[in-house]
Amino acid sequence: MIELKSISKSFTGKQAVKNLNLTVPDGKIFGFLGPNGAGKSTTIKMMTGILPIDEGSITINGVDITDYPMEAKHLFGYVPDRSDIFLRLKGIEYLNFIADVFQVSKEVRKEKIDYLTKSFGIYEALDDHIQTYSHGMRQKIVVSGVLLHDPDVWILDEPLSGLDPKSSHTLKEMMREHAERGKIVFFSTHVLEVVEQLCDEVAIINHGRVQFQGNMTEMKQQFQDDDNLERLFLELTENE
Amino acid sequence: MSNAWKLMKIMVKMQLSWAGKSSSEKVGYVIMAFALIPFGALILFSLNNLIGSLYDALAPTGNESVILALFFILMFVIFFVTSIGTVLSSFYFAEDVESFVALPFHPYQIVLGKSAVPFLSLYGLNALLLLPVLLFYGLHSSAGLLYYLFAILLWAVTPVIPFVLLSIVLMFLMRFANISKNKDRTKIIVGMFGFIFAIGINVVIRLDSGGGGSGAADLIREQNGLLELVTGFFPTAYFSSIALTQPASLTGVLYLLLMLGLSIGFAILFLTVGQKVYFKGVLGLSGGTRSRFDERKIHKTIKQKPLIYSLWLKEMRIIFRTPAFFTQIVVQSLFFPVFLLVILFMESNTSVASLGSLLTQLEGKKLVLGLFGFTLLAVGMTPASFSSISRDGKSWFNHLHLPIAPQTVLRSKIITAFTLNLLTIAILSFAALFLLQVSFKIWTLWLLLALVTNWVTSIGGLIIDLYSPKLDWTDEREVFKGRFIGLAMLAIEATVFGTLILILWNVSAISGIWVTTGVLLTFLIILIAACHAGLKRLSNKRYYSIH
Ligand SMILES: Nc1ncnc2c1ncn2[C@@H]1O[C@H](COP(=O)(O)OP(=O)(O)O)[C@@H](O)[C@H]1O
Ligand SMILES: [Mg+2]
Repeated sequence: MIELKSISKSFTGKQAVKNLNLTVPDGKIFGFLGPNGAGKSTTIKMMTGILPIDEGSITINGVDITDYPMEAKHLFGYVPDRSDIFLRLKGIEYLNFIADVFQVSKEVRKEKIDYLTKSFGIYEALDDHIQTYSHGMRQKIVVSGVLLHDPDVWILDEPLSGLDPKSSHTLKEMMREHAERGKIVFFSTHVLEVVEQLCDEVAIINHGRVQFQGNMTEMKQQFQDDDNLERLFLELTENE
Repeated sequence: MSNAWKLMKIMVKMQLSWAGKSSSEKVGYVIMAFALIPFGALILFSLNNLIGSLYDALAPTGNESVILALFFILMFVIFFVTSIGTVLSSFYFAEDVESFVALPFHPYQIVLGKSAVPFLSLYGLNALLLLPVLLFYGLHSSAGLLYYLFAILLWAVTPVIPFVLLSIVLMFLMRFANISKNKDRTKIIVGMFGFIFAIGINVVIRLDSGGGGSGAADLIREQNGLLELVTGFFPTAYFSSIALTQPASLTGVLYLLLMLGLSIGFAILFLTVGQKVYFKGVLGLSGGTRSRFDERKIHKTIKQKPLIYSLWLKEMRIIFRTPAFFTQIVVQSLFFPVFLLVILFMESNTSVASLGSLLTQLEGKKLVLGLFGFTLLAVGMTPASFSSISRDGKSWFNHLHLPIAPQTVLRSKIITAFTLNLLTIAILSFAALFLLQVSFKIWTLWLLLALVTNWVTSIGGLIIDLYSPKLDWTDEREVFKGRFIGLAMLAIEATVFGTLILILWNVSAISGIWVTTGVLLTFLIILIAACHAGLKRLSNKRYYSIH
C-alpha cells in the first residue's frame, strides 16, 4: 500500500501540489490521471525521493520515504517521464549498473535481461550506446531496468507515451500480471482512454489537488453528476 | 552572394548573442574584462620595450626586418592553432550544422556563413597583438605615412592565409580520413591532436635552439640574412616584412601586392574547396556507430559487481567517452607531466639530469616543501573533482530514486578523481626514478605526499562542485566554460597551502626531512578529516535539493 498524507509542494512562488491525500491499495493497477501541468510528475518525484516533501508524509508499504529513504527505495522501481538516463553508457552497461544497485545475482540478471529485452525488441541494441537509441527505445531500457530487480511497487510516470503499439501492449500485459500477483502498479497519464482500458482504480488530479478517487464505474457516474469534472473530462479527451 | 550574406548575419547573431547566458556568467565576463586591463597595459608596455631594444640591436646590421617577421610567424602559428577548435566546432560539431545542410544553400555559402565567427574572432587577437606591434615598430623606426598604410593593409589580411590553410586541412581530414563516422571519437582525436601539436612545437623549438649557435653570427652580418633564415617555412611573413621595411621601393610595393593577391587567391581557394568537400565531411556525421551485435560478448559482461566499483566504472566510462570531458579532464591533466617528461628527455645530458643528486644536497625542510609545492602543481588542479556533480547534468536525478546512499555516490566520485590523478603521479614517478635518478628515499617521500595531496584535492573539488553545481547544461563544454569554478579552486588552494608552506618555512622549530614531512602529513590528514566531515554536512543539506 502507498499512502500520501496531506502532501504539499511549492516551487518559487508557485504551489504545484496542494494538501494531497491518496491511498493506493495492493493488487490494483492505479491510474493517476490529469492534464499537463496538473502536478502528477511532482507528486511522483516526491514519492520516489527525488524531490524533498514540503509538508506531509509518504509511506510505501509502511516505510516512510523521508525517514527511511534507502529501505523505501528498495521497494519500488521508477520509470521517469523523461529519459535523461546515463546516455554515454551502453544498454547492457546500464542494466548491469541497475542490477548492481539492487544486488541481482548473475543468473537472475542474465535470464531477465534476455527475457525483457527480447520481449521489448531491444536485445540486439544492448551493445549500443543509449545515446543512439530512439525515445521509445530509451523508455524500454528504463522499463527493463525496473523489471530487472522485480520490485513490489511499480511507479511509472507516463510510461506508455512514445512506445509503439506492440511494446505498449507488452507493457500493459506485464502491468496486469504484476497487479494480479497482489502487487502495486501506480502510473500517471494524461490520456483518459488508457485509464479506461487498464485501471482498476483511478485518481484525478488538477491544479495540484485530487478531484476524485474511486473505481471506474464510480468515475463514470461522477463525470455525469459533477459539472467541474465534466469540463475536466472534456479537456482530458480532447488532449489526444 | 546575398544569400551567403544573410546566412552569415544569422549565424553571427546566433553564436554571439548574450541570450541564454546566465546573469552570473555575464557579470563574470565583465569582471574578467576589467581584470584584464592592467594585464593588457603590462603586455603593451613590455612589447614596446622588447621591440625598442630589438630594433636598436638589429638595425645597425640591417636585420631589423626580422622583428616583424618573428611577429608575423607568431601570429600565423597562433591563428592556425586557435582555429583548430573553433573551426571544427563551427563547421562540424555545432548542433545546427545538419539543419543548415537541409536548407537550399550552396555548400560554399554555408561554409562562408560558418566561418564568419571563427574568422572574425581571430581579429580580436590580431588587434590585441599585431596592431600594437606594427605601431610600436613604426614609432621606433620613425616610419613614414606609407609604412602605416601598408601596415593597415597587411594587418587586415594576416589572418586570412592561416585560417584558410587550417580550414582546408580540416575539411580534407574530415572528408578522407573517414573519422567523422563517429562524432565523439573524432572530437577526442582532434583534442589529442592539439595536445601532441603543442608538445611537438616545444620539441622542435628545443631541437632548434640546441644546434648551430656560431652560424647565427655570420648571418647577422648580411642585410636581411637573419630574416631569410627565420622565414624559411613562412614565406608570407617574409613578404610582409619586406613590404613593411621598404615601403617606398618597388620591391616593397610588389611584395604588398603579392600578399594582397595571395590572400584573395586563398579566399577563392577556400570557397572552391568548401563547395567541393564540405558536405562530404558533414553528411552522416550525427549518431554514433552501431557495433555488430555479438551475443557471447553481451553475456560475458553480465556479472555482479560491488556497487562502489559499478559506480566508479560508470564515472570512468562517461569521462572517457564524452569528448569534452576527455579533453578537459584526461588530456589537460596529462599536459603538465608529459610536458615535463619531454623536457627531461631533451635535456637528459645537461644540468637538469643531475637534479636528482642535487636534491639530496638541499636542506631537509626546503626539500620537502619544494616537493610539496611541485606536487600541488601536478595534482592540485583536478577538473575531474570540480566537475564531479555537474558532469551528470540532467541525469543526476537517477542517483536520487535509486537506493544508493549519498555517501556511496560521493565516494565513487572522489575515487574517480583520485584514480585519474594516479596517471599523472605514475608518469612523474617514472621521470623521477629513471630520468632524474632521484633517490628511492626521496621518491617514497614524494609519493606519500602526492597520494595524500591527491586525496585532499579530490574531495576539495567535489565539495566546491556540490556547493554550486551546474546541472542544467545542454552541451558538455558548459560544465567547464564560464563557471569560474577552476579559478575558485585555485584561489582556495593557493590560500590554504600557501599559508601552510609559508608557516612551515618560517617556523625554525620545524626542520629536517622527517619532522617536516610528519608535520605536513599530519596537517593534510587533519584537512582530509575536516573535508570529509564538511562534505557529510553539505551533502545532508544539499544532496537532495540540487536539480
Ligand atoms: N522544478 C520546477 N520549478 C518550478 N516549477 C515547476 C517545477 N517542476 C514543476 N513545476 C510546475 O509545477 C506544476 C506541475 O508540474 P508537473 O508535476 O510536472 O505536471 P504534470 O502533471 O504534467 O506531470 C507545473 O505548473 C509546473 O510548471
Ligand atoms: Mg509529467
